[in-house]
Amino acid sequence: MPFDFPAPVVRHQAINRDHFLLTLESPRVARAARPGQFVMLRTRPGHDPLLRRPMSIYRVPPSGRGQVQILYKVVGSGTRYLSGQAAGARLDMLGPLGNGFRPPRPGRRPVLVAGGIGIAIFPFLVDRLLRRGSRPILLYGARCRGDLVALSYFQARRVPVRLVTEDGSAGARGLVTRLLEPILGGEGGEERCELFVCGPSPMLRAVGALAVEAGVPCQLALESQMPCGIGVCLGCVVPCPADADGPLYRRVCTEGPIFEAGTVEP
Amino acid sequence: MKTPRRGAQGAPRGAGAVDLSVTLGPLRLKNPVVAASGTFGYGTEFLPYLRLSDLGGFVTKGLSLKPRRGNAPPRTCETPAGMLNAIGLANVGVEAFLDEKLPALRRHDTVVIANVFGETQDEYVAVARRLNGAPGLHAIELNLSCPNTDKGGIAFGVSPPVVRQVVAAVRRAAPGLPLIVKLTPNITDIAVAARAAREGGADILSLVNTFLGMAVDLKARRPVLDNLAGGLSGPAIKPLALYMVQRVYREVDLPIMGMGGISTAQDALEFMVAGSAAVQVGTVNFFDPKASVRIVREIAAWCRKEGVRAVREIIGALRLPPGAPPAPRAV
Ligand SMILES: Cc1cc2nc3c(=O)[nH]c(=O)nc-3n(C[C@H](O)[C@H](O)[C@H](O)COP(=O)(O)OP(=O)(O)OC[C@H]3O[C@@H](n4cnc5c(N)ncnc54)[C@H](O)[C@@H]3O)c2cc1C
Ligand SMILES: Cc1cc2nc3c(=O)[nH]c(=O)nc-3n(C[C@H](O)[C@H](O)[C@H](O)COP(=O)(O)O)c2cc1C
Ligand code: FES
Repeated sequence: MPFDFPAPVVRHQAINRDHFLLTLESPRVARAARPGQFVMLRTRPGHDPLLRRPMSIYRVPPSGRGQVQILYKVVGSGTRYLSGQAAGARLDMLGPLGNGFRPPRPGRRPVLVAGGIGIAIFPFLVDRLLRRGSRPILLYGARCRGDLVALSYFQARRVPVRLVTEDGSAGARGLVTRLLEPILGGEGGEERCELFVCGPSPMLRAVGALAVEAGVPCQLALESQMPCGIGVCLGCVVPCPADADGPLYRRVCTEGPIFEAGTVEP
Repeated sequence: MKTPRRGAQGAPRGAGAVDLSVTLGPLRLKNPVVAASGTFGYGTEFLPYLRLSDLGGFVTKGLSLKPRRGNAPPRTCETPAGMLNAIGLANVGVEAFLDEKLPALRRHDTVVIANVFGETQDEYVAVARRLNGAPGLHAIELNLSCPNTDKGGIAFGVSPPVVRQVVAAVRRAAPGLPLIVKLTPNITDIAVAARAAREGGADILSLVNTFLGMAVDLKARRPVLDNLAGGLSGPAIKPLALYMVQRVYREVDLPIMGMGGISTAQDALEFMVAGSAAVQVGTVNFFDPKASVRIVREIAAWCRKEGVRAVREIIGALRLPPGAPPAPRAV
């Protein structure tokens, strides 16, 4: 069940010019949260901006101190205001929301595919996967070196990481699909995999299509404009394959944000 | 000062207790705060955050005869202190509402109001007929902002003769239910539509629905919403809505549920002073899911502080300057 309470800012670290790691105290959210879920966060008091912002839960640190972490990138006014919130501030936080990831199917190795700030959803998942003894690998694409964040989290846990950047400033040059094709093509042994994907819509479309074609299970984490986050405004919908009654839409906030590839058209 | 009447089921009042109940024609509410259509789902979505019995009532998402899936995304866009929406009246349809949604609401002691729309007068009538007599339903609210397919897509609510006709037809189809008529603000003089609704047989008026607006994506030189236009709601519209409420209050003799941008008890009380017998709260439910019950609490606190023993005393208490004209002077 979700909760709605002001959460004190415990720590707020700048990772680089436009990426921040925010640690909030909320024992209730920390206890209830599952990987892939999100919170709705007020970025500052008042009516500018009016609506809360959806943010994935980056981690629930296992220290047991009831903390919830958010990793975000400043892209507009709300995230800019958020970046000015210092330790001690209290931010209205509603969550945990959404369905979260389904555990990988038995016998499948999790392949995490991140585009840009989509990386923020994965550390919480990796914490859980490692505890279950599964061995995830990460394919991570971004525009440039400065947009590659949280690498130390994965390195510290010996999660194999393959990088691409659009400008070639780190890893191979190109899009993340370039890293995926060999894996879906069976490189790396006969091991069967399952994809967990988070990033911009064009990437979700491309990766989802490759997975469906290869017959590999694939969970997509979607983004959308979310006024309420709790399923009542009907504003956040994603188109789904049409049925006999015409176009079909699902709410990303409550029916997602995680969808099986092939069931949505992001 | 009038001595406040004790409501039918009013709790015995000790020292300092405030009577929050209000009566709008045939409809009695335990307090004046009602959650607005399209912002409160079918009610149960808010159970993690509040008790429905703490509300005066709530209005369901607009119901049509058949389920509707709504517009293609993007459907919403944030604007300064507001938002635009072009949801496209997506809803589960009246049958699913009666079978699946309404039964779950019966055990909550609150007033449930079904919001009704149609693309034709016949559809309004058919939905209202289906709802008439449904156990656990307390009133219907006609959303007149829907495009009328028989009139080239112009909203029902902008033509006074059409308003009169559709209200009268629904009145006949659902004689057992209090009839609230919800007015569109996208009209030159809302009092004209209000009068037409009264002539058609409305019991209560609710106003306002959203204002038509748009947003432009400058880089792409495209409207942000696929639908081009959307309905503007939220704090940005409060002064516009407040003005319309006082105007209708002075021009038409029917109880009013006022709304538009209410996010605090102060906003709600301003609407009441301007002539609203109850208020609806909409967009605030999105950015503060506990807001409706918080506003109820804060209204009670305000009344205690101000020595107001029954909140109904402030309805229409606006003190007009001497010689104030019924219509505004040039501004
Ligand atoms: C379920 C979910 C989880 C998310 N998790 C994270 C996260 O962990 N970290 C993070 O940094 N961001 C995350 N986001 C995206 C984040 O919500 C937006 O970046 C934020 O709302 C932007 O607010 P703003 O006021 O700064 O920008 P705005 O001024 O609202 O927008 C700035 C620009 O970003 C675009 N934009 C805004 N919101 C979105 C969106 N949701 N998807 C795509 N484009 C958008 C706008 O069109 C505009 O071009 C998530 C979104 C969703 C739906
Ligand atoms: C997303 C959204 C959906 C709405 N859907 C309906 C609806 O189905 N029927 C209706 O009569 N009004 C609908 N409304 C209008 C509201 O009930 C209310 O009249 C309006 O938003 C103004 O109040 P507010 O500023 O408090 O939101 C909707 C508003 C929003 C924002
Ligand atoms: S954000 Fe409101 S329904 Fe999903």
